[in-house]
Amino acid sequence: MQSAASADPLDPLPLIAGRQDSDSLTRIIFTPVWEKTRRGWWFLFLLGLAGTGLLTAAITVTFKEGIGSWGNNMPVAWAFGITDFVWWIGIGHAGTLISAILLLFQQKWRNSINRFAETMTLFAVMCAGMFPVLHLGRPWFAYWLVPYPNRMTIWPQFKSALPWDVVAVSTYFTVSLLFWYVGLVPDFASLRDASYSRLKRIVYGIFALGWRGSSRQWHHHKIAYLLLGGLATPLVVSVHTIVSFDFAISQLPGWHTTLFPPYFVAGAIFSGFAMVLTLIIPARRILGLEEIITLKHIDNMNKVVLATSMMVGYGYLMETFIGWYSADKYELFSVANRMFGPFAYMFWLLILCNVLAPQVFWSRKIRTNVVATWIVSILVNVGMWSERFVIVVVSLHRDFLPSSWAMYKPTWVDFGLLFGTISFFGTLFLLFLRFLPAISATETKELYKELSEEHAEATAA
Amino acid sequence: MSSSGSWPEPSGERQWRSIEEREGSAELRAALEREFPAGAAELSDGIDRRSFIQLLGASLAASAVGACTSAPAERILPYTRQPVGLTPGNPLHFATALSLGGRATGVLATSWEGRPTKLEGNPLHPSSQGSSGVFEQAALLQLYDPQRARLVKQRGTPRAWKTFLLDTSLRLSASAKKDQGAGLRFLLEPNASPFVADFRTRMAQAYRNARFYGYDPLADDNGPRGVQLAFGQPSDVQWDFSKADVVVSLDGDFLQPPGPHLRHARAFSQRREPARLNRLYSIESTLTITGMMADHRLRLRPSEIQLFALELVQELVQQPGLSSLSGVSQASGQLARSEHLKWVKAVASDLARHRGRSIVIAGPSQPPIVHGLAHAINAVLGNLGQTLQLIRPVAGVESGVASLSALADEIKQGAVEMLVITARNPVYSAPADLDFGKRVASVPDSIYHGLYEDETWEKVQWGIPAAHPLETWSDARAHDGTVSIVQPLIAPLFNGIPEVELLASFLGVIDKSAHQILREFWIEHGPAAAFEQRWERWLADGFIANTASPSVQAALRPDSLISAIRDWVKEQQGQVRSTPDALEVNFVGDYKVYDGRFANNAWLQELPNPITKVTWDNAALISPATARRLGLERDDVVLLQYRGRQIEAPVYVLPGHADDTVSLPLGYGRSGAESVARGVGFNAFALRHSAAPWFDRGLIVKKLSRKHKLAVTHDHWAMEGRDLAIQYAVERFEKEPNALEQLRGPTETLYNPVNFDREQYKWAMAIDLSRCIGCSACVVACQAENNIPVVGKVNVLKSREMHWLRIDRYFSGTLEDPAVITQPVACVHCEKAPCEYVCPVNATVHSDEGLNEMVYNRCVGTRYCSNNCPYKVRRFNYLHYTQNKPKSERMLMNPDVTVRARGVMEKCTYCVQRIERARIQSRIEGRAIRDGELTTACQQACPAQAITFGSLNDANSAVARLHRDQRRYDLLHELGTLPRTAYLARVKNPNPELA
Repeated sequence: MQSAASADPLDPLPLIAGRQDSDSLTRIIFTPVWEKTRRGWWFLFLLGLAGTGLLTAAITVTFKEGIGSWGNNMPVAWAFGITDFVWWIGIGHAGTLISAILLLFQQKWRNSINRFAETMTLFAVMCAGMFPVLHLGRPWFAYWLVPYPNRMTIWPQFKSALPWDVVAVSTYFTVSLLFWYVGLVPDFASLRDASYSRLKRIVYGIFALGWRGSSRQWHHHKIAYLLLGGLATPLVVSVHTIVSFDFAISQLPGWHTTLFPPYFVAGAIFSGFAMVLTLIIPARRILGLEEIITLKHIDNMNKVVLATSMMVGYGYLMETFIGWYSADKYELFSVANRMFGPFAYMFWLLILCNVLAPQVFWSRKIRTNVVATWIVSILVNVGMWSERFVIVVVSLHRDFLPSSWAMYKPTWVDFGLLFGTISFFGTLFLLFLRFLPAISATETKELYKELSEEHAEATAA
Repeated sequence: MSSSGSWPEPSGERQWRSIEEREGSAELRAALEREFPAGAAELSDGIDRRSFIQLLGASLAASAVGACTSAPAERILPYTRQPVGLTPGNPLHFATALSLGGRATGVLATSWEGRPTKLEGNPLHPSSQGSSGVFEQAALLQLYDPQRARLVKQRGTPRAWKTFLLDTSLRLSASAKKDQGAGLRFLLEPNASPFVADFRTRMAQAYRNARFYGYDPLADDNGPRGVQLAFGQPSDVQWDFSKADVVVSLDGDFLQPPGPHLRHARAFSQRREPARLNRLYSIESTLTITGMMADHRLRLRPSEIQLFALELVQELVQQPGLSSLSGVSQASGQLARSEHLKWVKAVASDLARHRGRSIVIAGPSQPPIVHGLAHAINAVLGNLGQTLQLIRPVAGVESGVASLSALADEIKQGAVEMLVITARNPVYSAPADLDFGKRVASVPDSIYHGLYEDETWEKVQWGIPAAHPLETWSDARAHDGTVSIVQPLIAPLFNGIPEVELLASFLGVIDKSAHQILREFWIEHGPAAAFEQRWERWLADGFIANTASPSVQAALRPDSLISAIRDWVKEQQGQVRSTPDALEVNFVGDYKVYDGRFANNAWLQELPNPITKVTWDNAALISPATARRLGLERDDVVLLQYRGRQIEAPVYVLPGHADDTVSLPLGYGRSGAESVARGVGFNAFALRHSAAPWFDRGLIVKKLSRKHKLAVTHDHWAMEGRDLAIQYAVERFEKEPNALEQLRGPTETLYNPVNFDREQYKWAMAIDLSRCIGCSACVVACQAENNIPVVGKVNVLKSREMHWLRIDRYFSGTLEDPAVITQPVACVHCEKAPCEYVCPVNATVHSDEGLNEMVYNRCVGTRYCSNNCPYKVRRFNYLHYTQNKPKSERMLMNPDVTVRARGVMEKCTYCVQRIERARIQSRIEGRAIRDGELTTACQQACPAQAITFGSLNDANSAVARLHRDQRRYDLLHELGTLPRTAYLARVKNPNPELA
């Protein structure tokens, strides 16, 4: 452990491993972009494209036939569509959290993974954004949810949480995109300058927006980045809070609860970090980024996962407690139905994945074991999807009047949309890994410099 | 078709290159089939040149005729002078009548520019009193059914009606000359029509040896025989349930057809209010609509009901003053004391306490002895002339299974040369042992007058498409004998031939329309003076006043009843009980398709069965205990074996069903050309035996490994301890008059509720659960009024049925003897509607008068409103259900109501189109809408008058009074939604002796 980061004897895991300099960091970070396309990449990319084809097919059927091609019914008027929406939005939460909040808190470990997380956020929000349109009975009128001036002077109904959703999600996407792009500009310039092919130079050049690396540019860049970080911070909390309002403002037992906003935000961060882990663990190995994305990062993220896991666990506990404490027979029934009703397996699956599985992270050994972490991160993704399914479908399928109770059964289109968006997400991510530096070179070098200085100070002292 | 280049030249010597071409190639045939109207889709294989050319001509003629009816070729101009009484955009109403089981129910048809779109009961008609049942409501869809037969066909080959007339008249005259019609037989739909009665007389004069039979598989033959046993004279019985304090029903589902069920329901439900509560004992096998209303229900195997009746008589004899029953009582000898002795005693003493104010009624499936016993009890209790009247028989031909058996025998003996069938599809509905299809096929000359190319059509020589009752002139009689003139609302849509014209042709009348024939008949038989005015009055009223059958006096003459009982006792002693594991089979008419005649009606197929809530299927009904014993559960397919025949059927476990009995609803498993009906359910007629058409021992049930998924709309039986559909014993209600206080009134809220009291109207509904019998007429009425689409079994299985109004049915108590309650639930129009604030686009909003309105044009289909609706009454167009509606069915749409497309939400509107019509009328007349002037479709149909609608701002309105009733409560009151639809708790009147 001779690296610059091992200053703290109590924390032996370095943030940047090995003996590095500016050159070696550049090489590590840009090699995946410069090198020839690997066979494995093509394989995964084609797989992703095939899945995206499935998504296209499912969307076509949905638009052509209507929501009837899904398994939705009365009373389960929302099902996979909304479950997927909330799941993807949740996944999209790690990005802003890592970029913005950790930036403001000056957490150094964010620097090597923030690009990764932000990109994931963008793509996840893109996937999420499809569902509110897809799930409409008449998707061609989706724009009616947007407040726009029209001859009939009809506004959306601001009492409903759905127009809030539109605003929250579109703001989130815009800010995330800007934040991501602003961070990318210097790296685009590096790519432009280092590329051999003319085409690449032109394309990267366009995106680099004439970046020359002058101090003036750096100055503006820093301020813009910080401002956007400040802007994005409240969004981390607001987006999922508003998504949770979709449920919380209704009066359906299982939805009608004040607990939802914090519990949804915790769940979102939980699933976001899990998804970052799921993606980053294979990527750092295959792309040779192990020296920059070190076990220290994984360890830290696992701690966040563990903490948020307990927060959602507390949420489940409180839901159950309030169900009993409210003395409301509908609430009580709704809790019992989650645990012992026909969809009980989904509930116990979510308890297993979201509450029990992350408990292994109390052990540092497991936190720094990439295989174990990867397995748990996948379990968490599954668990968080089940959680949304339990909230959406299981609350709806048995509500007030037993006469209208019914079961829900998804169709191939439902699964097509779920796995299709996962493939679409994967495809976009593969393109990202191929054409853009997965790690912010600028910020990593900055971090390296900072760490070296700290190290130097420490040794001097 | 005629422009096709590949068409052979009809004139001159035809050239042909191959046998195939000469015979008509496959493509040619396909082209021909395409050009043909749908009905002519099947061609026989061997086609010679002559029939080929005939076919050509006929199909050309057919398409020409088809073109005439669907779209006139002439140029249409607007009225230069408007016809009197017709304002385009304002519908007209015509009175006519629909018959079922040979008895007419008066209806009023709404007609838009000559296009009937809705049927309501005729308030003046004695059998309707303004209400209607599911069959009357759904008759309209049958009228527009594009699958109805369209062409006169001889052995499947289209012919002209004239050809038929020529062909038949030649044979007829030959037959008349030879042996005066010895080989001529008629198989008629039961019919009390004066015209048909006269036709029979005149036929008997012209063809002395011709004979008439009637057939309706659900006909009540046992009832009249029972009357004969008890009183020694034939007569019909008119029941008056409004005067009966105690009603004992022996397997008698008197709230359903056949029988004047609408009248019964009206009278019976009037007595379900706490102040004048009657008491109903129902002794039955399967759970029926009547049984659901019972204060006490005893489930017995069908064969045990006669024993119960005998025990009841024996018990009654011991009551003071009823010794005149002793003869009847002694005839049955010593009966083994049954386990329900307590029941018998309680019923007997209750009856004895209510002499002259009680009714004992038996069902059509019970043998004549049971009917005789019921009448004997009624007679000694002094109910005759009080709660029941005997009237001179309204007549018609006997039309039960026995009648059909006799005809089948005659055919077997070769005595029948020409058979004319107007009965509805007897080949399908005949008991299997008669092998009636084969019999009909063996008749040299058979003619079937039917609405569809059904099972019977396939077996006959001549198929004649029948005109629908709404397309034709005829006459009919109600249950009490009142005559109605049936007038058409529209010219025949599919070239149907009126029954009157068909029958008249046998008397040589071939050049007159049904209208002329019928008028001439009534000019001849009716009052001579002022015929025109009278005729118009009859048509306007929908019936001829004062034509009810006169009542007759009769006294109990129990001799034949006594001897019948003695015979029965002897027979019982000789009988050995069949194999121990054999069950009893019980054939029941269906609540939705009757005997199968309505099987092609998608409204009825999709209507949840009032008892089981099964759609698009029938099922073998068994009790929970029997299911346990046989290891069966719902959806299991079983093999049913009985008298050497077997069928496969899915099982439905029905709480409250009698043990060791399997009830098989008739009317499904159709195999005719009607594609809606085909393949739906199983055919129980294939097990029915003419020796025991209603019930019998000896059924063997074997479980098969297959499952058949039944599309049930209401899976969960229990209320889960929630106060949803509330029923109380009347004593408890009297003791705690404020028991429902916490289920009504304002709830605590942070906001000031909107005040609607200053509006001109404050629309509201009240549904009296005490009155609701669960018959589901309202559901079909709502479907007809509001253009509600049918979604099919696949989508019902996915819980996507579209009914705006549903009838919830809950069981409570034990599985074996549950208490049942039905509760109609539609949008309750909450004042604080949870659906409204969650809609992102303002597509569901509140009106000033308190209606929760749906703006279809604005709806984008987020379905959030449905999620937040605690009553789950909203319905979503998951698919474009109205897209492929046949042209003819488009004519059925109510022009006042938007036809919804895919992707929008819909729900009950309180029939807002009717409110607006009433508003327009009241404004024209410069007044407010009067209470009772405006009815919703469900309210109008309801035979039990359980639904009331009006304005709460009129303190004296019926609905305002009901909203102040002590029985009033709000569904899910604790949610604070302030629903405008209030429910009135059901009160029950249990006998303390049976507590």
